[in-house]
Amino acid sequence: MEHVLEIGRALPAGDLLTLPARTAALTATIRAVAAGDQDAFGRLYADHVRMVHAILLGRIPRRDVDDLVQDVFIAAYTRIRELREPAAFGGWIATIARNRATDYLRHTREQVELPDDLPGGEPIDSETFAVLDVIRALPEAYRDTLLMRLVEGMSGLEIAERSGLSPGSVRVNLHRGMKLLREKLGTDGWHGHE
Amino acid sequence: MSDYYLFDGSGAPDPDVVRLEQMLGRWRSTTSAPLIATSSERRTANAERRTTYFGVRFLGPALAAAAAIAVMVGVTWYTTASPTSAEATVGKGSWQVAVIIGTPRIGADALVGEGRISVGQTLTTDAGSRARLDVSDIGQVTVDERTRVRLVETREGHHRLALDRGTLHATITAPPGQFVVSTPSATATDLGCIYSLHVNDDGSGLLSVEVGWVAFEERGRESFVPAGASSRTGRINGPGTPRFDDTNEAFRDALDEVDNGRDAGRKAASLGYVLAYARPRDAMTLWHLIPRVDPPDREAVVDALARRVPMPAAISRDAVLSLDRDALDQWWDTLGLDEATWWRKWKQPLPTGSGVSSKKSLATKSRKPTVGR
Repeated sequence: MEHVLEIGRALPAGDLLTLPARTAALTATIRAVAAGDQDAFGRLYADHVRMVHAILLGRIPRRDVDDLVQDVFIAAYTRIRELREPAAFGGWIATIARNRATDYLRHTREQVELPDDLPGGEPIDSETFAVLDVIRALPEAYRDTLLMRLVEGMSGLEIAERSGLSPGSVRVNLHRGMKLLREKLGTDGWHGHE
Repeated sequence: MSDYYLFDGSGAPDPDVVRLEQMLGRWRSTTSAPLIATSSERRTANAERRTTYFGVRFLGPALAAAAAIAVMVGVTWYTTASPTSAEATVGKGSWQVAVIIGTPRIGADALVGEGRISVGQTLTTDAGSRARLDVSDIGQVTVDERTRVRLVETREGHHRLALDRGTLHATITAPPGQFVVSTPSATATDLGCIYSLHVNDDGSGLLSVEVGWVAFEERGRESFVPAGASSRTGRINGPGTPRFDDTNEAFRDALDEVDNGRDAGRKAASLGYVLAYARPRDAMTLWHLIPRVDPPDREAVVDALARRVPMPAAISRDAVLSLDRDALDQWWDTLGLDEATWWRKWKQPLPTGSGVSSKKSLATKSRKPTVGR
């Protein structure tokens, strides 16, 4: 199977042209949040929750991801005045999420960790958990980008817009991450598509 | 094969990527935005934190000396002074938490035995843990398994929790309006009572009142829920019409359809059932329905209520149909529950240090909020 990396592929013009408008909208939203506007906070949440969820899912047990997502956004809300450049919000909250995950793992290291596939929840086959484990073992840049794409259904442009990465970097991360994932899944018993 | 599909879903689907999307997409984020304190609430919390900081760091020695002098000059003062003020100073901006069973967490930290939860922190229980919160000095909240609550605000006369999901049971002994629980789809304001509140993962929920009253409100739509009654709440429509828990299942289902149904025919049939089978005791439910139904249905609801509890002679049918607050309140006062005036008063701020201990003794002017739809 041949995989062609097309970094030079033209991105949709419409999306690029609206970048200043998106930045202006984000700036206005963040200023409104800083002023206590709860609706604006809801918009900010809706725009970035998938990215934060993916970052946490790649690091901590699935059962605690939703709780930490909420913690991350509450932390962002209480510290929003510290954000000097509104356009950097995506990278800023991603950093908060990574730090919260690190804190979580540090605090829970000495506790007995329950497996992700504990009975009682939604029935999910063991292969799915195995795939998640393999993705979690990938380098951070590939892991986060792949989870945003494969779990959250974000497009490459959405990932770039939310994370602050360039579309080209996202494309590289997706391509290389997927290549590594295929290799590791092949080694670890992934049968690929039937 | 190109990476078009991997990048943005365009081009020929990559079978591996498609399969991974199907497998992993089940874990896509579904949580709703956390409830947050308003800017004024944050200012209050910050001010309280500053007060505590200065109190401990800089004024501590002076306060310690003053306390020593106070002990020396008068044991009598000590025995008669209210303990509330001292406790309030110690616990400002936080509540005592105790484990009932298992290992709840405050933030990321496991709670063992007892601890404190501060404004902005969350208390999370898993399938094997429960905890008890002391609501300042006005009551207690028991947090059941699989629950997440956050302390949004606590100051004299105003305490607020956010219940993101799960179940809590509150026992509050304070004047109305002092204890508030926000949920994703409605806000419960204690009017002096014991109640349980449950929130599902999708933000919908159920309020059940055991003693006293609870006001359940969202975007101007209000339900006043008395002891022995419940009110469902949903993301779209907010608090549902309250009903007594001893109504039969068919009645409850019909009422849910009236509140949330989308099919006009089924809604009409369900409303007909509710109006036909409401007991005299269900006048409380019918009264709440008056402003909630569409105007063409309002006359039928008014007629049904009038058959259970006659309309007072002092009010006119037109006033009720036009949702005149005074007219509706006067009719409510004849339902044999409590007078409307006192549960409308909870929105009035209490005089600081009034020492009011009974909602009946509140000497505030009745305010006239809009009847919620």
